[in-house]
Amino acid sequence: MKSKLKLEELVQDTRVSRKIYLENEIFMLEMERIFESNWVFLGHESELAAPGDFKTLTIGTQPAIMTRDEHGDIQVLMNRCMHRGSTVCQQERGNSPTFRCWYHGWTYNSKGELIGVPYADGYGAGFDRRKFSLLKAARVEKYRGLVFASLEADVERLTEYLGNAKYYIDLFMDLSPLGEVEARAGEHKYGYDGNWKFQQENGVDGYHPNFVHQAYFEAQGKELGRKVMGLFTGNSECDSKDLANGHSILDMTIKNRHGTRPVRNMLRGSTSQSSGAAYVASMTQRYGEARTAEILGASNVNLAIFPNLLIIGIQLRKTIPVSVTRTAVHLLPTTLKGVPDEINVARLRAHESFYGSAGGGAPDDVEMFNRCSEGLRVKGAEWLELSRGIEREHRDEEGNIVGHITDETPQRAFYRRWRALMCDAAALQPAKPLRAVPSL
Amino acid sequence: MPILSRSDAEDVLYREARILDERRYRDWLEMLADDATYWIPCNGEGSDPNREISLVFDDLKRLRDRVERLESGLAHAQSPPSATRRLISNVHIDDASDNAAAIWSGFILYELRHGRERVFAGRYEHRLQLVEGQWKIRRKKVVLVNNDEVIDNLTFIV
Repeated sequence: MKSKLKLEELVQDTRVSRKIYLENEIFMLEMERIFESNWVFLGHESELAAPGDFKTLTIGTQPAIMTRDEHGDIQVLMNRCMHRGSTVCQQERGNSPTFRCWYHGWTYNSKGELIGVPYADGYGAGFDRRKFSLLKAARVEKYRGLVFASLEADVERLTEYLGNAKYYIDLFMDLSPLGEVEARAGEHKYGYDGNWKFQQENGVDGYHPNFVHQAYFEAQGKELGRKVMGLFTGNSECDSKDLANGHSILDMTIKNRHGTRPVRNMLRGSTSQSSGAAYVASMTQRYGEARTAEILGASNVNLAIFPNLLIIGIQLRKTIPVSVTRTAVHLLPTTLKGVPDEINVARLRAHESFYGSAGGGAPDDVEMFNRCSEGLRVKGAEWLELSRGIEREHRDEEGNIVGHITDETPQRAFYRRWRALMCDAAALQPAKPLRAVPSL
Repeated sequence: MPILSRSDAEDVLYREARILDERRYRDWLEMLADDATYWIPCNGEGSDPNREISLVFDDLKRLRDRVERLESGLAHAQSPPSATRRLISNVHIDDASDNAAAIWSGFILYELRHGRERVFAGRYEHRLQLVEGQWKIRRKKVVLVNNDEVIDNLTFIV
């Protein structure tokens, strides 16, 4: 008989076992202890603009429906008829005040209450339809339009969970002079034959771009390409940060004016002087000069929210585990409310240029996930090394652990949280305290 | 005043299909007009690329970048490259006037890469323009049947 997997030995401070990408048993535990027991990202509330709007999705691998009820509240219902198990909604997106199971006609409202049972007199007097409401996520909360749910009720408030990541989410949303983005411009969907964690690790990996994306940067034009590559070299001035709770960021806030332009261009594309000027004026009016400079200077972020959200460029990216070696990824590009159309068009074009199944960059990341999945089948080389930069991390005034942008600080942040959720508390040694390094 | 015939249209489409299957990307760029766009909508038919994300919405500059990447040896998602064979059929001339035409066609594209076979199907909508005696592609729109589904890799030219 197979010996029991000891999770706490498979994920260590500076290395993780290949087994966590390959073993179905671990995947099943991840669904239970990570995706079904804590906050997971579902989508953006602008996807459900009107009452009755819905989209189907999964929480872990369980089918669910996110819908807006007639009071305007977002409901997260499990997509399973309480009669005999059929899904009650098959469309990916749509609008409907009710969900009808077409197997035997049971019908539910947008709160999940059973409102229709055909030939109801066939059930006995003791039949109580109130006991047959669709299952619901125990908790649904929003932050700046981002909708999260937890199937487990006993979790901290979302704002506490997001913690220091909120500052960066705010920067992303505040690119709009109205403080709001919309995710109604469609969705890119791609997948790969590998574990979901590859995508979450890679979205905040500042070590890979100059190799995986060299061709893209070079084709961007020599001057621009060189500047973008400069963000990810060994002597880059940019940071990576462990924001606690498994969240992390590549902080590309430019510390000198010289480097600012290409990053902003990557995010927004090129726009005419007049719309650029109108945009900056409306930003300044809303936020004041100092905050506007802060928002624009920090505008190209790679932010990971544990376990399944990445905010990169203009997009909200959701990592969707399908099986231990199959993953789907949905990208929701966002547009800014209250800006000239030209800016949003440029955002869409900039996004397409790099991302999606036919983009100039992201498919090369996906290729690496496929290659890793294949390579990790080698037995004997058990470990993936994640020690880069551990000797030079420090803690900043906000309490974040800060590494160089090319360091594996974000990946260590991810696995620290993974260990906390996956392993029995008794099996875990107290976390090794970070060396006391003074703040810079 | 030349009016495009179906046989003329098929000549252009078949030549393009062969060039792309043979990965002669420079030759393909030669088939394009200076103001060409290559558009692959996402999530359905594609109504307004300025309001909705596309899989590809390239002008000639971007296409040149794309080809440069494909030929760089560093386009990892095309290393090894996709071997493709596309069959084009059901060709209709939707509109033909002096020196310009709109063509509708159906295609099936077989792709083999790294031991994995995939089949794409869809329709092409070409707009052609006669430029110095040659029919050039001004717009190529590709509506994939599966453009609202997960697509792992679409980094070859469709």
